[in-house]
Amino acid sequence: MASESFTPVSMPSALRFDLLARCSTTKARAANLTLPHGPVQLPLFMPVATQASLKGLTPEQLEATGCRLCLNNTYHLGLKPGQEVLDKIGGAHKLQGWKHNILTDSGGFQMVSLLKLAQITEQGVRFLSPHDGTPMLLTPEHSINLQNTIGSDIIMQLDDVLVTTSPDHARMREAMLRSVRWLDRCIAAHANPTTQNLFCIIQGGLDLEMRAECCREMVARDTPGIAIGGLSGGEAKADYCRVVNTCTSLLPEMKPRYVMGIGYPEDLVVSVALGADMFDCVWPTRTARFGNAITKYGMLNMRHAKYASDFGPVEEGCGCVCCRKGEGGLNVTRAFVHHLAAKETVGAHLLTMHNVWYQLELMRNVRKAILEDRYPEFLKQFFKDLHAGDKSMYPDWAVEALKTVGVDLME
Amino acid sequence: MAPNTESHGQQPGNMSFETLKSNIQHTTTARLGKLGISGRKDIETPNFFSIGSRGVVPHLTPDVISAHAQFSGIHMALEDFIERATTGTPPVMNVPGDSPLHTFTALPSHFTTLLAPRRTPAVSAPTGNSNTAISIFTSTGFQVLPNKAYTTYITKLSPDLAVGLADVPYGTVPGTKRIAKMGDRTETWLTELLAAKPERTAIFAPILPIDSNAQSEYLNHLDDIADRIHGLAFYDPNTLPDIPATTALTRLPRLSLSEPRSPSQILRQIALGMDIFTIPFINSATDAGIALDFSFPSPKTKSESTAPLPLGTDMWAATHSTSLLPLSESCTCYACTAHHRAYIQHLLSAKEMLGWALLQIHNHAMLSAFFSAIRTSIAAGTFEEDSDVFARVWESEMPEKTGQGPRVRGYHYKSEGPGEGKKNKAAWGNLGVGVDGGEKDADGKVLEGGLVPTEGRGSWRGRGLRRRLRVYREMHSRTSF
Repeated sequence: MASESFTPVSMPSALRFDLLARCSTTKARAANLTLPHGPVQLPLFMPVATQASLKGLTPEQLEATGCRLCLNNTYHLGLKPGQEVLDKIGGAHKLQGWKHNILTDSGGFQMVSLLKLAQITEQGVRFLSPHDGTPMLLTPEHSINLQNTIGSDIIMQLDDVLVTTSPDHARMREAMLRSVRWLDRCIAAHANPTTQNLFCIIQGGLDLEMRAECCREMVARDTPGIAIGGLSGGEAKADYCRVVNTCTSLLPEMKPRYVMGIGYPEDLVVSVALGADMFDCVWPTRTARFGNAITKYGMLNMRHAKYASDFGPVEEGCGCVCCRKGEGGLNVTRAFVHHLAAKETVGAHLLTMHNVWYQLELMRNVRKAILEDRYPEFLKQFFKDLHAGDKSMYPDWAVEALKTVGVDLME
Repeated sequence: MAPNTESHGQQPGNMSFETLKSNIQHTTTARLGKLGISGRKDIETPNFFSIGSRGVVPHLTPDVISAHAQFSGIHMALEDFIERATTGTPPVMNVPGDSPLHTFTALPSHFTTLLAPRRTPAVSAPTGNSNTAISIFTSTGFQVLPNKAYTTYITKLSPDLAVGLADVPYGTVPGTKRIAKMGDRTETWLTELLAAKPERTAIFAPILPIDSNAQSEYLNHLDDIADRIHGLAFYDPNTLPDIPATTALTRLPRLSLSEPRSPSQILRQIALGMDIFTIPFINSATDAGIALDFSFPSPKTKSESTAPLPLGTDMWAATHSTSLLPLSESCTCYACTAHHRAYIQHLLSAKEMLGWALLQIHNHAMLSAFFSAIRTSIAAGTFEEDSDVFARVWESEMPEKTGQGPRVRGYHYKSEGPGEGKKNKAAWGNLGVGVDGGEKDADGKVLEGGLVPTEGRGSWRGRGLRRRLRVYREMHSRTSF
C-alpha cells in the first residue's frame, strides 16, 4: 500500500503563498499567490478557456475582466492542436497570446465524463480515440508529460475519478488509493518542478474517513498546492459542504486549496467560508451562451420577452465593460442583449464578459470582506440580495454549512 | 480654402462633403473627398463601411471595434430591428436620446451609422413590392415595409446616413412593365421621405440597378432636388456614368450598395468616381476562414513569383498549425501583432468563436489599408497605373473556401425547403455506435488522434491490444458495407 512504502520528500515549488488574513468567525482566508506568470489574489475564481480561448473573447478582453489565471483543458489541447504542435510553438501561453497564468487539469475527468468505453486500470485510463477508435492509454506519466509541454503554471495530477454518489465503497477506496499511487508517479514524471506547480487531488467520495485518509497521504507528499476533487458531480450540497469542511481542517494552512468544478455564486461564498481558496467552473461562460446573465439578485435570462424594451444595463452598478457607462464602458442595455441573444454571437460575447466579470468581482469583494474581517456580514448581505430578503428561500444546505463555521444566516 | 478643393457649404442634415481632388471636367473619374458628419470622425474617401448584422459587425463586440477597427462606419439594415413591428412597436423605437440607433447598438460615438432598408446581401422576398411598400425579411419572417413606416423609422432612429427606399427586385429580373414602375415608385417614396424633413439624417437617394434610360425621369428629378439630398446610393455601379453630369449631382457623395466580389471590382468602381463602399466579401472571407492578404498596388515585400498572387490565405490549412507568422506580413492589426497563424488555425479547427473574431479584425484592417493606399495613389495622380499593376500582380477572384463557417442563422439566408443538407457537419461522431466516428480530412483519410504520445508497439505486447485493434478494425470494415 502506498502509505507504507512512502518516504516523504520535500518537493520543489514554483509558487509563493502569503496568507494575509483569516476571518475571525469562519474558516475563510485571504492570501496572495505568486505564480510563474505573476501574482493572483485569493480567494479566486478561474474562468475556463477549454480550448485555449475563452469562448469568443480576446486575451485582451479576458485581461480586462481582471483575470490573471485561467484554465485550459489538457484533454482538449492534447487532441487539438496536439502535443507535437504545442511543443513546436512553445506551449499554451505562446499559442493563445496569454501573458498571465494558466492552470491545466490532468485530462482524467474528461476521459470519464466525455468518453464511452473508458476503462481505468492501474496503469492508466484506457480509451478509444474519438478520432479513429484506436485504443489509447492515458497514464499519469503521459498526463504530466503533456502538461509539461503545455507549460501551464499549475498542473494537476492524474486521478481516478469516480462519481461521488457511487455506492460501491470498495471501488471508491480503490480509486482513492490509486489516486495516491498515481500522485507518486506524477511527481516522479514531473520534468519542470521549478517552473510548474503540481497540485495533488484529494479523492474519497462522500466518505469523510476516506477523505481524511487521503488528505494525510497527499499532504505527506508535499505538493505546492492541494485540490479537492471528485465533487460537483450531483451529490447533495450538504454532503459537498461536509467533505470540503473536513478536508480543509486537515490541510496545511500555508498552501492554496482548490475545489474543482465549483462556480455557482452561493457555492463559492459558502466554500470560502469553509476554508477553500480557488475554484473553476464552465457554468458562467456556458450559461452566457444560453443568454443568461448572472447578477447579485440571481440569474436573468435575457432571451425573455420582458427584456425586449428594457433599456437598463444588464446589472445596475456593474463595473464590467458591457454594463459600465462612460469612458471605456459600452453601456449595453438588456434590450440590445435580448436583440442579439441566440442570433449573433456578439450577444454571447457580451454576456460572457459580464458573467466572468461578475464572478471575479464577487471574489474580489469576498476578499475585501475577509481582509476587513466582516465576512459573516458579507455572507448575510449576499443571501439577502440573492433571495430578495426572503429567508424562507435560503437554501438549507447553505444555512447548515455556515452554522458549522459560526454564521447563522437566520438570526 | 486650398485650391482644387470644392466645398459646398452648409448642407442640411449635419453632413458635409467636399471633393478634394478630381477632374471637374470628367464626372467619372477617381476622386478624393472628405465626408464630415457632426459628432463623428471625418471620413476620407474613397472608403468603406463595415456591413453589420443586427446592428453589430459580426463576431466583434463594440469594445473590440473601438480598440481595433479603422473603418469609420457601419451599414445597418432596418429589417434587422423590426421583427416585432407586426405585433407592436419595435423596441429600438423606444430608445431614449438623440441618436437611438447609436445608443441601442452601443456603437462608439465616433462611428457613422448608415441605415438601409435591407441587409447586404439581401434575401429575396417571395412577394413583390407594391406601390407603397417593399417586402423585407426579418428574423421572424417576411414583412411588408411601407415607405411611410420607413420614413417614421428614419425620423425617430436618427441614423447619420440613410438610403431612401428603392423599388429593387431581389432575385428576379424585372420585366418591361415593372421597370417602368420602378423609377416612379422610388421617386414618390423619396419625395415622401424628404417631405418629412428628417433633421439629423443625411438622405442618400437610391439609384436603381436598371438602364439609365428607364429611370431618366427619376434621375432628372434628382438633379432638380439635388440640394435637398445628400448623396447617391448605387445598387449597380454601371449606372454611375449615366448620371446627369450637373454640378449639383456631381458634388454629392456616392455610395455603392453593389456587392463587389473582389478588390479589382472595387478599383473599377473607384475609377468611375465611387466614394464609399459596403463590401460583403470581408464578412464572407472571415466566415470561410480566409485571411485577406493583398495590398495596393503590389505586395510590400518583393515576391519572386510572376504568377498572380492569391488575395488571401485559407487559414483552415493544417500547414499553418505551427506557423508563428502573422496572417499578413505587412499587417499591423491586433490579430497580426498579438497572435499568429498557428493560433488562428487552431481556433478554426477547434471551432472556437475567437478564430472568426480575429479574422474579422484582420480582414477589416486589410481593407482599411487598401483604401488608404488608394487615396494616396489618387493624390499622387498614379491611380490608373497603380490599378493596372494591381490587376497584373494579384488574382482577380477570392480564393476558394475549403473549411466550414460559423453557424448560419435563419435570417442570413432562406432555406430551399425540406431536405436541404446541413451547412456544417456534426463536430463529433458517436463513437462505438456509428461506423463513421472518425473525423476525416478532405481526401477521406482518417486524421490521426494525438491525445497521448502513442506508445511503442512493444508496450502493447502481451495485453492483447493488437488483436483487439485488429478485431475492432475488422468490425468497422464489415459494418461499413
